[in-house]
Amino acid sequence: MAEDKNPAGKPLLSGFLKSTQLMELDACTRCQECMKWCPTYDVYNDRPEITPMYKIAKFRELLGSQHGLRAKLFGSKPLNEDEVDQFMDDTYMCTTCGVCGTVCESGINTVELWEAIRPNLVVRGNGPWGKQNFFPILLGKDRNPYQAKQEDRLCWVPKDAEVLDSGKIAYFAGCTAAYRQQALGVATVRILNALDIPFCMLGEDEWCCSSALVRTGQRDVMKAHAVHNVDAMKDRGVETVVYACAGCIRTASIDWPRWYEGYIPYKNVPLSVYLREKVESGEIEWKRALDNLKVTFHDPCHSGRHLMHLVGRDWAFEAPRDVYKSIPGLEYREMTRSREFQRCCGAGGGVKAGQADLALGCAEARVADGEAVGADVISSTCPFCRRNIMDGRNSSGSSAKVADQVELMAAAMGLDVTIPDNPYMEFQEQDEIACKGGVCQIEESAETKSDDIDGY
Amino acid sequence: MAFYTLGLTFWIVIALTIAVLAIWIYGLYFNFKKWGMGSTGYQDKLRNSFWLFIATWIHEAFKDGIWVFVKTAILDVLLLRRTLRRSPVRWVMHMTMFYGFVTLAALSGLGLFMDIIEHFNLLGLTHQAEMVKGFMELPFDIFGYMLLVGSTIAVARRIVLKQVRDNTSAYDVVLLGGVFLITISGFYAEWLRGNSFLVGDAFANSVYAPHFSLLHTILALALFVAILPWSKYMHIIAAPLTILANRGGE
Repeated sequence: MAEDKNPAGKPLLSGFLKSTQLMELDACTRCQECMKWCPTYDVYNDRPEITPMYKIAKFRELLGSQHGLRAKLFGSKPLNEDEVDQFMDDTYMCTTCGVCGTVCESGINTVELWEAIRPNLVVRGNGPWGKQNFFPILLGKDRNPYQAKQEDRLCWVPKDAEVLDSGKIAYFAGCTAAYRQQALGVATVRILNALDIPFCMLGEDEWCCSSALVRTGQRDVMKAHAVHNVDAMKDRGVETVVYACAGCIRTASIDWPRWYEGYIPYKNVPLSVYLREKVESGEIEWKRALDNLKVTFHDPCHSGRHLMHLVGRDWAFEAPRDVYKSIPGLEYREMTRSREFQRCCGAGGGVKAGQADLALGCAEARVADGEAVGADVISSTCPFCRRNIMDGRNSSGSSAKVADQVELMAAAMGLDVTIPDNPYMEFQEQDEIACKGGVCQIEESAETKSDDIDGY
Repeated sequence: MAFYTLGLTFWIVIALTIAVLAIWIYGLYFNFKKWGMGSTGYQDKLRNSFWLFIATWIHEAFKDGIWVFVKTAILDVLLLRRTLRRSPVRWVMHMTMFYGFVTLAALSGLGLFMDIIEHFNLLGLTHQAEMVKGFMELPFDIFGYMLLVGSTIAVARRIVLKQVRDNTSAYDVVLLGGVFLITISGFYAEWLRGNSFLVGDAFANSVYAPHFSLLHTILALALFVAILPWSKYMHIIAAPLTILANRGGE
């Protein structure tokens, strides 16, 4: 896509936008509801042009200059490249969280709209934004965004853990759990083992889900990753894939099938849904009570709003809550903005890689949401949300801790989640749950240790 | 036929109506064709086909079956459920404007049809046509007031609420102002003609009534019909089609 980076003279549209999406541009009633909810506008409230209403109007205007009535009667004028550049900036100032689509009176599917507009800008040479350029290069070369070795995919798995090479159930760990938040991976493996669930992992055959590519409009490497991962599952005879990463399950459920020509024989299940079944069937043996721990749940956009129509509200929103509420001693607090109306943490849509300040601003707002309900711990089921909320916590000086649901659960189950020594220990970025006897404490990670180019 | 003034005749009005409708239909075709530039599926090339837009829309709208389509059409298109969830005030505004506008447009069409029957004495129904026009006065008033309530809320919202006011563009002002102006001019035209259900003939003025009625009609046709396909008003067509294509949206 990036052969010629000079946009001058290139058309604004080169594909990607469906005809019904072009119709959506005319469906905006300018009711301004999206502006009330947009998390990025909350941060940059002096820039209304980054909100959906303005972006839709601008894109319609740019398209109109090329294909409107005037252009038809008198010929189209050359595009004003400054305006297109400005529009590109505004379009990439978006985490693709989708709350605008949820509240849109006209039912515009905004996430799909932004993700269809962005590739056109990439093809023109306007996009993507800043370091987002590196995603296709890194994924094409290393198959993960962390420049890590593929052979190290399972370097964090404890020696005594039982992970099969093939089987009916697979755990797709994702790049962040494999290289940056290995405690999450270890906790997941330990829980599955403790429940005597035989499962396999793809190991070197697990390639990045490529969420960052879809979100930033860089679709070149996407197909290879989607096809490779699906084929790897099929080769192992997998029937159920569990995910402890919201970005991965969103991409595997919605995006991979678009690229895979053929039948996909397995189902994708969020780990929280799988664990809730085990909780309800009484198979989980709790060893510790997480006494006096006030925990709030940050719904990840990718496994919540993005998936709710595919998997239903129960899987998207209620399953993780049911799991928290089942943990002994844990006091669950609900944030004011939750479920489909939650406030995005700010990491998604390539924003963390492209506009780090914006991502941080969103995260700080989300940390404040957690503090407002008196939560000690802001927990999530997305490693990338966790990482950004942790960054927001550190920059805002909040005392809130940040932990993944699976790790809280492993702590309450009394499981040993020690990460075996591996080449990525120095890059670990997670608050750690330390338990002695019956008491668990969360020790915060005070800084961001690596300078990754990452993003969902 | 006091309505025909300033040299206008029945035939001129019919010709103008046909011309305006032709502009409206071409405008819709133009927009559908513009939307048809897009692709028919994910990661697909541009198609540039009016018919492929229609096919894509049908494919999307019926993807989840006819029952979902019907449910969406009733709850989200006709009852504006999505708007009600977000703001009851905006829901009242949209419902009154939508049903006020649509019914007045339909009544106007029916009125013109009655004029045609009356003019040609089709099937000898002149008298009945006049009676029907008489019966239409009350619904004209009721739906007119509905539109007035809606457009007044719309204008007031843009004036009173700071955030809404700050993000109101000239685009919004002209078009919303247009709706308000047409509604007000419609009422005044009725008052001048002495036909009003509520105020009777208190404002009746047989000299100015035809001129004002003509002014109102020209404004209404120009803004609602001729300008609709080329402006923000297009959301009247595009928003329901979008809601149906997205099976109710998020």
